Amino acid sequence: MKNSWTRKALALGAAVSVALTLSACGGSGDSGETYKLGLIAPFSGSENMFGDYMKNAAVLAANEINEAGGVLGKQIEIVTEDDACDATQGAAAAQKLVSAGVVASVGGYCSGATLPTLPIFYEAKIPELISVANSDNLIKDNTGNVWLLDGTGTQQAATALKWVQQNGFTNLVVIDDKTDYSANLATKFVEAATAAGFTVTTDSLTPKESDFSAQVNKIKSANADFFYFTGYVQEAGLLVKQAVEAGYTGSILLGDGSVDSKVAEIAGLENCQNVYATYTKTPDMLDDGGAFAAAYKEVSGGTDPGPYSIHSYDTVKVWAAAAEAAGSVEMDKINEALKTLTYEGLTGTVHFEADGSRTGEGGFVIVSNKDDGVFKLFDALT
Amino acid sequence: MTQVILNGLFVGSFYALIALGYSMVYGIIKLLNFAHGDIFMFGAYIGMTCLVAIPGIGSLGIGALAVILLVSIVLTGTTGVLIEALAYRPLRTAPRLSVLITAVGMSFFLEYGVRQIWGPDPQPWPSNGRLSDFLSTTDATGAKQQLSVPIFDGALTYSQLVILAFAVVLMAALALYIGKTREGRAMRAIALDQRAASLMGVNVNATISRVFFIGSAMAGVAGVMHGAYYSSITFLMGFLLGLKAFTAAVIGGIGNLYGAMLGGLTLGLLESIGTTLLGGEWKDVFAFVFLILFLTVKPTGILGERVVERM
Repeated sequence: MKNSWTRKALALGAAVSVALTLSACGGSGDSGETYKLGLIAPFSGSENMFGDYMKNAAVLAANEINEAGGVLGKQIEIVTEDDACDATQGAAAAQKLVSAGVVASVGGYCSGATLPTLPIFYEAKIPELISVANSDNLIKDNTGNVWLLDGTGTQQAATALKWVQQNGFTNLVVIDDKTDYSANLATKFVEAATAAGFTVTTDSLTPKESDFSAQVNKIKSANADFFYFTGYVQEAGLLVKQAVEAGYTGSILLGDGSVDSKVAEIAGLENCQNVYATYTKTPDMLDDGGAFAAAYKEVSGGTDPGPYSIHSYDTVKVWAAAAEAAGSVEMDKINEALKTLTYEGLTGTVHFEADGSRTGEGGFVIVSNKDDGVFKLFDALT
Repeated sequence: MTQVILNGLFVGSFYALIALGYSMVYGIIKLLNFAHGDIFMFGAYIGMTCLVAIPGIGSLGIGALAVILLVSIVLTGTTGVLIEALAYRPLRTAPRLSVLITAVGMSFFLEYGVRQIWGPDPQPWPSNGRLSDFLSTTDATGAKQQLSVPIFDGALTYSQLVILAFAVVLMAALALYIGKTREGRAMRAIALDQRAASLMGVNVNATISRVFFIGSAMAGVAGVMHGAYYSSITFLMGFLLGLKAFTAAVIGGIGNLYGAMLGGLTLGLLESIGTTLLGGEWKDVFAFVFLILFLTVKPTGILGERVVERM
């Protein structure tokens, strides 16, 4: 009786433990008086701030285009839908945009919520320019209408490797947290580094745990002078703290999922003196002297532009350039135009590979938080 | 390898502290108190709030930790007593499954109550209460060096030693209390036979309240030490640690105090060795495989005795 009792209790405990998971983000279609562009992004939930950054920048780009005479003689309009970074809501948002008659989708923040929008837009013959979401899975089976404006895991890994080679690191360790984004980035880095002749030690940790002494031990026993952690903020802070306090003195690189001032708050600023991260360009890294920020503030009502607003801005501009070049807003013609288009945007030169990803390094740079805990541009690696 | 064992013992001491509360409650009223891990989390949040809210606490240096430990002991202990009085006592004669479900409900209540008050984001531990900041030196280049003691070819930092010592002292004190005092005898009597104990003049309600106070206070202490050492706390941190502590209690023999201590250290060691051999992603798999193994092969745990079911 006692046995079966304990087992029941355990079964219940196991059932409760299933209640803990995370998901990830957004997408858009055709109309009459104006061209409507659909922007799906998280406007609610834990990532909600990015929705506004993306929307305001897209509206700014649309306003500029409209003042210059619109696209093919028509004014354009941004229609937003909320996906709350959730796959089910992402699919529903895409359906709504298709019903609203959008001619293109220019959003997409969380990869997990953007994936289900792909078949919906493809069936409605709507080109999908994804501004932020960047999992390699988005273009794995590309139907030809999907274009990634943000760099992929492959490109981020290439940037990390460039940083390794530039600094002459030799004993490399990569640690991921086994989530889709993190494992993708870690795998791509190991592939790239192995191809370049490095031997890489790998390990994984479990998100939401606190004790990473096993990983720290592995880093130390590998005599690493560099480790790359591809997971998220909380674990990054804990891992940095535990590694440095255990006497690790080498260099630490974090993926873009960990770029947040919370890392220094958790690890302690004094433990962040060798911490860097791979990250895409943010508005404060532009050399336009704040012109973008000033224009953005007029649209946003005074709030500053945040990460990924320039990606969203470029996405709208790239679609407009493609539509002008194609002389049409139909999916097939836009696709043809995007294959050859070269556009000088705020995020750098926009040009696409045949698979829909951006050419070049995807605009990744190295940022550092050693001054005050906030990640700032450290090395553009040009 | 020495380092792997030291790491295992260190993590195991946390498991043991929390497992003690699980085991005490189970031993005495046969209830798996699933809210216990959340009391641990609540203790950490109380500690963090005190570090921010008490004026001048930063000037106490490491004494600040003593202050927040005291506050946390009082508040988590009281919370434990309240939970028992409000949620479990009215169900004492109800089927055990009802009480277990109530305990799971209480766990959610604590988790999401804390989230409502402090928010869903992980909270960094205030810098005036970080153990590693007190127990380190700054070298000539301005970099911080942790003070540590070499043990064979491994090392333990002072912070880890302080926490280990604390855990050992608390466990020893608890063993003495249960084994040698009048109140401890009352607890053991209730564990054997609640009705007979009350016929012999033992105040059952008061004794059970005392058990909940002590168990919860120890979880509160563990919570504060966890925050002070790891520097980051979240409202869900008690969930996984609670399950691990439960595993530790089962491994050691649930209901047996020495078993809880032994189980905690054993689980810590198994995890540490397992992750070194198999890779970090296997840590939880490894830990829970041992839970299942023990439940199938030796359900009474290392030190548990076969109990004749009376109910």
